[in-house]
Amino acid sequence: MTSLLIKNGFVFDPLNGVNGEKMDIAVENGKIVEKVNEAEAKIIDASGMVVMPGGVDIHAHIVGAKVNSGRLLRPEDHVKDVEPKTPVTRSGVGYSVPSTFTTGYRYARMGYTTVMDPAMPPLKARHTHEEFNDTPILDKATYPLLGDCWFVLEYLKQDRIEECAAYVAWMLKATKGYAIKLVNPGGLEAWGFGGNVRDIDDPVPNFGITPREIVRGLCKVNTLLNLPHTIHVHTNNLGKPGNYVTTLETMRCVEDLARDGKPVIHITHCQFSAFAGDDWRTFDSGTEPIIKYVNAHSHVTLDMGQVVFTDTTTMTADGPFQFLLYELSGNKWVNSDVETETCSGIVPFQYRRKSFVHSMQWSIAMELALLIQDPWKIFLTTDHPNAGPFTHYPRIISWLMSRKAREKILERVNKKTLRKSLVPTIDREYTLHDIAVVTRAGQAKALGLKSKGHLGIGADADIAIYALNPETTDLSRKPATVRKAFERAAYTIKDGNIVVKNGEVVNAPMGRTFWLNVDAPKAEIEISKILQQKFAEYYTVSYQNYPVPEDYLAVSAPIHVKAEVE
Amino acid sequence: MTIIKLAPKRAFKTPVNAQTITPDAFQEKTMSEIAELHVWEGNRRRKLGELFHISEEKTAGSESLRIEVSGDLRKVRWIGAKMTTGEIIINGDVGMHLGEEMEGGKITVNGNAEAWLGSMMHGGTIEVKGNAGDYVASAYRGSTRGMNGGKIIIHGNVGNDAGNAMRKGVIIVHGNAGQFAGVNMHDGAILIKGNCEGRMGADMHGGKIVVCGHVKSVLPSFTIEAVRKRVKFEGEPVEGPFYLFLGDLNTKGKGKLFIAKNPNQHLSFYEKLL
Amino acid sequence: MTVVSNVTCPVCGSLCDDIELVVENNRIVKVRNACAVGEAKFLGFADPHHRRVKPLIRKNGELVEASLDEAIRRSAEILAEACYPLLYGWSSTSTEAIRVGLELAEEVGGVADNTSTVCHGPSILSIQNVGIPTCTLGQIRHRADLVIYWGSNPWNAHPRHLERYTTFTEGRFQKSIWIRYLTKLQGLIGRKKAERAAELVSPRKEAMPQTEKVEGLPPPLKAEERKMIVVDVRKTRSAEIADYFLQVKPNMDYELLQAFRMAIHDRELDVDEVAGVPVELIEEVADVMLKCRFGMLFFGLGLTMTSAKIRNIDAAISLVRELNERTKFTIMPMRGHFNVTGANVVFTWQTGYPYAVDFSQGFPRYNPGETSAVDILARGDLDAALIVASDPVPHFPKKAVENLVKNPLIVIDPQVTPTSFMADVVIPSAFVGIETGGTAYRMDHVPLPLKKVVEPPETCLPDEVILRRILKEVRRLKGMRTA
Ligand code: SF4
Ligand SMILES: [Zn+2]
Repeated sequence: MTSLLIKNGFVFDPLNGVNGEKMDIAVENGKIVEKVNEAEAKIIDASGMVVMPGGVDIHAHIVGAKVNSGRLLRPEDHVKDVEPKTPVTRSGVGYSVPSTFTTGYRYARMGYTTVMDPAMPPLKARHTHEEFNDTPILDKATYPLLGDCWFVLEYLKQDRIEECAAYVAWMLKATKGYAIKLVNPGGLEAWGFGGNVRDIDDPVPNFGITPREIVRGLCKVNTLLNLPHTIHVHTNNLGKPGNYVTTLETMRCVEDLARDGKPVIHITHCQFSAFAGDDWRTFDSGTEPIIKYVNAHSHVTLDMGQVVFTDTTTMTADGPFQFLLYELSGNKWVNSDVETETCSGIVPFQYRRKSFVHSMQWSIAMELALLIQDPWKIFLTTDHPNAGPFTHYPRIISWLMSRKAREKILERVNKKTLRKSLVPTIDREYTLHDIAVVTRAGQAKALGLKSKGHLGIGADADIAIYALNPETTDLSRKPATVRKAFERAAYTIKDGNIVVKNGEVVNAPMGRTFWLNVDAPKAEIEISKILQQKFAEYYTVSYQNYPVPEDYLAVSAPIHVKAEVE
Repeated sequence: MTIIKLAPKRAFKTPVNAQTITPDAFQEKTMSEIAELHVWEGNRRRKLGELFHISEEKTAGSESLRIEVSGDLRKVRWIGAKMTTGEIIINGDVGMHLGEEMEGGKITVNGNAEAWLGSMMHGGTIEVKGNAGDYVASAYRGSTRGMNGGKIIIHGNVGNDAGNAMRKGVIIVHGNAGQFAGVNMHDGAILIKGNCEGRMGADMHGGKIVVCGHVKSVLPSFTIEAVRKRVKFEGEPVEGPFYLFLGDLNTKGKGKLFIAKNPNQHLSFYEKLL
Repeated sequence: MTVVSNVTCPVCGSLCDDIELVVENNRIVKVRNACAVGEAKFLGFADPHHRRVKPLIRKNGELVEASLDEAIRRSAEILAEACYPLLYGWSSTSTEAIRVGLELAEEVGGVADNTSTVCHGPSILSIQNVGIPTCTLGQIRHRADLVIYWGSNPWNAHPRHLERYTTFTEGRFQKSIWIRYLTKLQGLIGRKKAERAAELVSPRKEAMPQTEKVEGLPPPLKAEERKMIVVDVRKTRSAEIADYFLQVKPNMDYELLQAFRMAIHDRELDVDEVAGVPVELIEEVADVMLKCRFGMLFFGLGLTMTSAKIRNIDAAISLVRELNERTKFTIMPMRGHFNVTGANVVFTWQTGYPYAVDFSQGFPRYNPGETSAVDILARGDLDAALIVASDPVPHFPKKAVENLVKNPLIVIDPQVTPTSFMADVVIPSAFVGIETGGTAYRMDHVPLPLKKVVEPPETCLPDEVILRRILKEVRRLKGMRTA
């Protein structure tokens, strides 16, 4: 079908200033258009329903080497949640680390259509893209881990920003990546010998550069290259009591690099980086200074990393942090270091209501989301699957929208948490407009994805329709109704095709893979000479076999970026 | 009592998933409803009545339900899985996963049972008159939650890894056991009246294993604690003398391993450490 | 004549990607950089004694030539009719082919299993029990000052492993006495002799990294020599060059590993020797492990396929995991077939499970021992089989082979094998990594491209294409059945 008309829905399209007005949305050839010929178009009656742009997830570990090791690690997790094959879908397994097909379907069922995988080891880029090719429906992209690459450390140490930029441009193309990802910058290189860095001014062993210099350096590179997203940062000391100080310093350290009040840094899954206290006994929420800072500055965006009380699988590139988690939990542990670039770790983890620390973590993410005033600065994530599987987003939406829902959670948490948490004092309840910002519009904007997150003319026709009537339902009093509506979209439309109807997948086309085709020709030629020279020495694979060719991507969607370096 | 009798209509070639053969599924169903229950034969969905002759007998007395399955059931898996009540009697050899995740009731096998017997069971009793395969009462792959209650009695021998990651409950083996009885065990008790192929209690955290017969050796990660005249098992004394080892030290475990002294002269060197 | 460089060798899990091939008239005439095994493959793969290019179908007991369409139709019929088909092999083909293979297995409600079921299956089960601290091979080259080979003999099974990744390499933080030794050797004796010696251990003469020369690099740290420990039941060639060789009594690796776990925690043992190794030696070697800066334990089938199997690996991984409380230590299985790792990887992302996946109930189910090929075959649970790029007949137990050939059997393989002789349908395919491209995963999960260097015979299609055509035919047949 080439044209669609979605009639009479309550439309929430924050990027175009539409706030719940009843209107029609017209679709032709996969794009939003002004109008269509009603006689020829397929009509969807959305009266009494909410219409939003398709959901956008800025940070969810859904594919690649680490995720797949997580899948391998957890047969006992899959066995309780299976997806049988249907005439239109492939079979798979679910719960905390779903198989690729299941991942695509489950996002689509919730009305999500674009998802970013935030941690790709460049050396294993092919793996990430192979899995993307088996992740149906969604448009997606991935962030190469660049904060501990030897080339980056060496260039930045010598303050050769332009060459570093040329290298990053080359890497984005070679790995078919979308943004610069930093995880515990410097700490991962140190982990190569089992070490870590203590704070953002602790020099990286054998390299002499500090995390501060890495963050600033790559932030400058990001600006030089004109990349659509900011640097995407998982802070040093993540997961440790007292780390809010490091988080504040990390945000501050790029304050002077901001231009025109635009964001230059994204602090991801901020919940894990907003801890106060000296140790686990004196553990506390460190959100207040972060919230104050973010409310007063415009160069930062965050995502939540909301904890859900469930059995999940933690997985990050932060090798030393995962080791800490293994020591704390005694659970099985995977560590995987990647030569010259990065590392990763995986530990199954159960968040318990009755645990003081875990319930405080729940509270910390809620405080961030509710007390940071501008919803364009903080996005809804669980750092899937780290703080909980993405399938819990509807539940989190209901918490954000309903004080009553939060109180119900608080009734059952650890008593000490109840005393310490700020959540009981917060009245704020998100509106549907706010929800549309934190689950799609804000994320698309932060990512610089111009055709996503809105329903303006020319946007990709990725649309979610939820069976929820804001006129007749008291959303704040009916959290379960809200949750159910967001769990099973009445319709999900992807590029103008109906892919989900009444919460069931009815069609599963393959989505695109976005990547940045950064144009920095001269600098790059030079850099590739140096790369070729050093490659055999740094890597155990050939230079020629390293880049991922474009035809490797099932649906390649390069975004052309003109860099400011020549 | 109601007795429902099942017998295969033909020899099965491919595995049959018969999760529906439980008192819970049969309860309050007519014979024709029971015959309509689904089972899998390989990749084909079948009705129970297509694969089994089903008949009913009523005797006076209690309300309870008994299922009797007779014949060659080696390919039939998951009989009695998740059952909570009632009784199943099996006449013949039976396939894997018998009584898996069982919560109550009783299963008796007049024959042998294959692997994964009573795996992850929470309650109830399973009694096997013949032998049982590997992974009796075990946890699923990757899990640390094995048997969590109930009782398994095996009159013959068991294979390897009996009681893997067991947390509660009792296993009694009248015959011999393979390797790694009580591996990763957390709690509960295992009694092996015959011989044991060794490596009992590897990586155990707690619980009790008693071996009355010969063992090849004791793992180096166990340490000798005492010699005991007898040991209590389910409140009843089992006569020894027994060597008592503690371990597994590699998991800082507090498990107790009792090995009968007399059939194990080769362990006597441990005594000089006492 | 053309020279193709940076070719990935499709033979063993080392997946060397620096091979240079000289091609003349669609034939490989010269191979550079490969070991003898790799070279033999590149030069000999097209040997007509081992190859037949036409599909075969068994008719009246005889295998007779057939058209590809006919062979595909017959294969699809067999699979569509089966109640419990087994689809086995997958470790010597590309991930692209495996993806289609799994879709086919799902469509026909069969069991998909790859060869890890008979090699590192126990290692995987063990990883599922305890996890695994590991790394890519370059990490060892750059950092490891201690390498242990336990129950594996890389010298024979992975000839270039030592030279490319471990003992005979140098990295940023790690020097190698062996390289210097070889360089000196070259100066002393005649050029020819030196080359022969180097052939043995290091065909790549430029292997010496030139760290110091590169502008702006911090000078590599002065490091101590890399040490090597070999643990095996017999003194292998690899053992001869080791700093320590521990000869373990057959089937007693588990006890020795558990004793090492005791020793690294300074826990006293009640016994004087374990598995034939005196406790003092255990303690000494444990000390070497604790004092290293970066250790690596490679293990092979000597550990996975003996007595305690899974539990051996449980113990080995636990040992390494606990060593991480004191230093940096990693562990890695030495994988055999060039893409057995890739098979595990694809199986896992599509189904959640790395091998032995049973689709008979419409969703993936996994329980090695129950849903694994050898066991299904031994019990005779199957009623048809498709074997892709594997040759189980000479390697599986007798009973399993009997049950394999008793049922309808389809073989897709570039070569004539004992299994293909027993088949009902034989579809010859293109050699993956020589006649067709794709992706393979090195033993450390690094994905590498396979190259097409020569054209396959016209009748030999890539596995991926053959499988796709069978899948299409199965769907057509099933559509007819339901209609
Ligand atoms: S070591 Fe293995 S991959 Fe490398 S050349 Fe030899 S056979 Fe090929
Ligand atoms: Zn993350």
